[in-house]
Order: sequence, then C-alpha cells, then structure tokens
Amino acid sequence: MRIEISYKFIIGFIVVVVSGILVNLVVPYIEGIEPEFRQLFSILCSLLVGLIIGSVFSRAFSGNIRRLTSAGDRIRQGDLSEDVKVGDSRFPDEISDLAKAMNQFQASLRSLVGDIRNIAFRVANSSQSLSGTSQEMAASAQEVARTTDQISKGAETQAEMVEESTRLFKEVAISIKLVASSAKAVADSADLTLETARSGSDMAGSSLDSIRQVLSEAESSGQQMVNFIAQLQKISKFVEVINGIAQKTNLLALNATIEAARAGEYGHGFAVVAEEIRKLADSTTTSADEITGLVESICKEGEQVQSSMAQVIDEMESGREAADRTNQAFSDITRNAEGTRSKASSIAELAEQQTSSAERITRAIDEIDRVVSDNAAATEQVSAATQEQSAAMEEMAQSVKELSNMSESMLQIVKQFKLVKDQD
Amino acid sequence: MALILTYSLGNDLYGLEIDAIQEIIENPVLHYVPRAEGVLTGSINFHGQILAVIDLPKLLGFAGNQRDHRHLVLTSEYRSLVLKTCGVERIVNLEMELLQPPPDGHDRPAVRGIIDFDEATINLLDTDEVTKQLEDIFAE
Repeated sequence: MRIEISYKFIIGFIVVVVSGILVNLVVPYIEGIEPEFRQLFSILCSLLVGLIIGSVFSRAFSGNIRRLTSAGDRIRQGDLSEDVKVGDSRFPDEISDLAKAMNQFQASLRSLVGDIRNIAFRVANSSQSLSGTSQEMAASAQEVARTTDQISKGAETQAEMVEESTRLFKEVAISIKLVASSAKAVADSADLTLETARSGSDMAGSSLDSIRQVLSEAESSGQQMVNFIAQLQKISKFVEVINGIAQKTNLLALNATIEAARAGEYGHGFAVVAEEIRKLADSTTTSADEITGLVESICKEGEQVQSSMAQVIDEMESGREAADRTNQAFSDITRNAEGTRSKASSIAELAEQQTSSAERITRAIDEIDRVVSDNAAATEQVSAATQEQSAAMEEMAQSVKELSNMSESMLQIVKQFKLVKDQD
Repeated sequence: MALILTYSLGNDLYGLEIDAIQEIIENPVLHYVPRAEGVLTGSINFHGQILAVIDLPKLLGFAGNQRDHRHLVLTSEYRSLVLKTCGVERIVNLEMELLQPPPDGHDRPAVRGIIDFDEATINLLDTDEVTKQLEDIFAE
C-alpha cells in the first residue's frame, strides 16, 4: 500500500501524539509512577515512542536515502550493473518511486550507454574502415591524378598530331588543287590538240584529194603519152616500110645498073635511069632516116617525159602515202587527245571529289582538335578536381582520424561504465 | 670510065668492077654446109644454081662482125662466088686511068690498086688474090 512520506510523517506524528495521549491515559494506571513524574513519564514515553518511531522511520528513510545516494554515487562512477533496492516494500512511498525512477534512469542510462558503446564501437569500426577507405581513395585519387597526367600528356601528343595532320592535309589540299588545275590545263591543251589535229586531218585530207587529182591527171597524161608513142611507133613502122622499099629500090637500081652495063651501049640510058632511081632511093632512105631520127628523138623526149612523169607519179605516190600516214597520225593524235581529255576530265573530277573529301577531313580534324582541346580542358578540370579531392581527402582523413580519436576517447569514456555485474 | 661498086670492108672502102658482078641479092636463104671452113658461111640456091657464100671480111682478115645482108653474086668468070661484105655502098663511075698501084706501106689485103674518089680512097679488090686464097684454103 502506497503511503506518501508526508502521510508517513503525519501518521508518525499522530502516532506519537496518540501514544502520548495514550500514555497519558495509561500512565495513571501504572503504579509506580509519581504523578509529577507522570507527565514526565508520559512525555518520556511519548518521546520514546517518538524516538523509536522516528528512528525507525528515519533509519529506514535515511537508509533508503543512503542507498539512493550510494546508488547515485555508483552511477556517477559508472557502475550501472546493480539496481537500487530499497527496503520496506510493504508501504512504498516516494522513496521507492525515486528508487524505481532511479532504476529506470539507470536502466535507460545503461541502455543509453550500451547503445553509445555499440555506436562507439560501430563508429570506431566505421572510422577505421573509413580511414582505410579514405586511404584507398587517396591512393586511387593519386592514381587518377597520374592517369589524368598521362591523359594530359596524351592530349598534348594528340594536339601535336592534330596540328601535324592539319598541316599535312593543308599541303594535300594544295597539291590536290594543283592537280586539279593541272588536269584542267591538260584538258585544255588536249582540246587544243584535238582542234589542231582535226584541222591538220582536214588539211591532210584535202592535200590527199589534190594529190589524187594530180595523180589521175598524171595518169591521163601518161595515157595520152602512151597513145602518142603508139602513134610514133606506127610512124616508125611506116618509115621502116618506106626504108625497106627504098633499100629494095636501091638494090634494084644497083642490079639495073649492072644489067645495063652488061647490055652495053643500049643500056646507057637505062643505067642513067637506074642511077637516078638509086639516087631517089638514097634520098628516100636519107629522109626516112631523118624521120626515124626525129621519131627517135621525139621518142626519147617522150620517154624522158614519161620517166619524169613516172618520177612525178612516184613522188606523188610517196606524197600520197605520206599524206595517208599524216592522216593516220592525225587520227591517232585525235584519238590520243580525246583519250587524254577524258582522262584529264576524270582526273579533274577525282580532284574535285578529293578536294571535298579533304575539306571534310579537315573539318573532322578541326572537330578532333576541338575535342582534344575540350579533353585537355576537362583533364585540367579533372586534375584540379582531383587535387581538390586529394585535399578534401586529406581533410577527410584528418577528420576521420579525429573521429577515430573521438570514438576512441568515447569508447574509453564509455568503458568506464559497468553494464553487467560480472564485467570489469 | 668504068662502073665500080663500092663496099666497105672493116673501115676501108673497097671497090669491085660491076663486070664481075652478076647480081646483088638481098637476104638469100643460106643453107648450112657441113664441115665447111669458117669463111664459107653457107650455100644459096641462085636461080637453080648452088653457089658458095664467102665471108670476104673474114677471108681478108678484117675484124668486126658487121655484115651487109646484101650479097654480091659474082659472074661465072669469077667462079660464081657470093661475097659477103661489111656494107654495100653504091656504084660509081671512075676514070680507070687514075688507078694507081698500092704504094709501099699500104697494107690493105687483096688490093689491086687505089683510086681517090670524093675524098675517099677506094681499094680496088684483087679478085685473083681472093681466088688464090680461097683455093689455098680449100685445098687443104
């Protein structure tokens, strides 16, 4: 039954008073006590009762108080293992409330300290692992820094390469332009050659025609000459006949003269006639010879004319052959020029394509350059960030160390607390 | 005044009286005579007679192969020989008084005499000489 201390006090007082009264009431009935001592006796009795009750009560009370105090001391010293026990649980009062409260407080403190200890352990562990991790991170940050350095160097090399490539491509572009312009020049000259070849071919064709004309005329002249010579030959034949006749006449004249001589006187006139005939025959022969001479000279001249004609015809022939060959050569030149022109056109086209490709490549290289620059900048940033990170890492390591230290010290502090009785 | 037929032998002008000549024939058909000497170039049929053809230039030792196709048929007085010459010229009328004997050093063969005519010298043929030479040849 719960009685508050105040009530206990009041009850005590009442008991004392009652006991006094009772003693007062009783004492008259006790023999041996003088009436003057009766009041004293009653007072003494009530005092005694009061003392007794008071000492009992106060002992209990102060005992509890002492227990509570010692419990508080214990708690202060960190021993949370024992619960506070207060006696006289028959009439619990605020002291037991206090004890309960203290126990609860101790319990909660215990659990708190236990929690704190656990947490401190966990913090210590975590801080250790964190320390380890931060070291690892520092190491990897260094690694990152090294890699970033490499990337940076690589980016430098890339930039150099890009410059080199750009320069080379500019040169290539220039040479492609040169090739294109050369191809154009070639195409132009091929065109010119074509024109010239065509006009040359025309000229060769026309000279061929005129040669053919001359040849045909020469042929017809030759034919005329042949006819002429045939006529002359006819004349020769006639002259031969005449000559033959003249010779026979001559012979006859000779024989006539002989016979006439044989005839003697009667033959004289005949001999004269025969002589005349012989003279005629001689002059005929002479004339015939002259004719023959003339015919021969004409023939010779004709032959000369013919031979020079033949020469002319030969030369014409060779001229015709030459003109033919020239024509052929011009045809070849024309073909070659056309081929050259088409090739030059295709070269120019290719050069055009190559120029556009080269431009595209140049743009791509510019892109690469930009990317490389961006990379370099990014790498710089990464480097800076890594450095910051390293610094932060340092700080963190420092903080972790502090944390570790703090958790250590917290552990140390918390170690003081005894949570379980057997533990030390 | 006699009529002389002039003809050439080699480069020399020879002459022959036309009394000695029967006829001048042209291109007669020459028949081959077997086993004949060189100077006998063949035989011809002259009006039924078979006559021998003598190569006079060759006989008298003249070089050259030029022969006139006109042959001199001599009379029977001259054995009817047929003479080949290098070229038959013409008949000329000559003063026989102008005939001179060949001078010393005139080395033309069978020359009976020489007559100047028209800036040329006619060597009159010695027919006896020719006959003798032929006999000599054919006697062997």
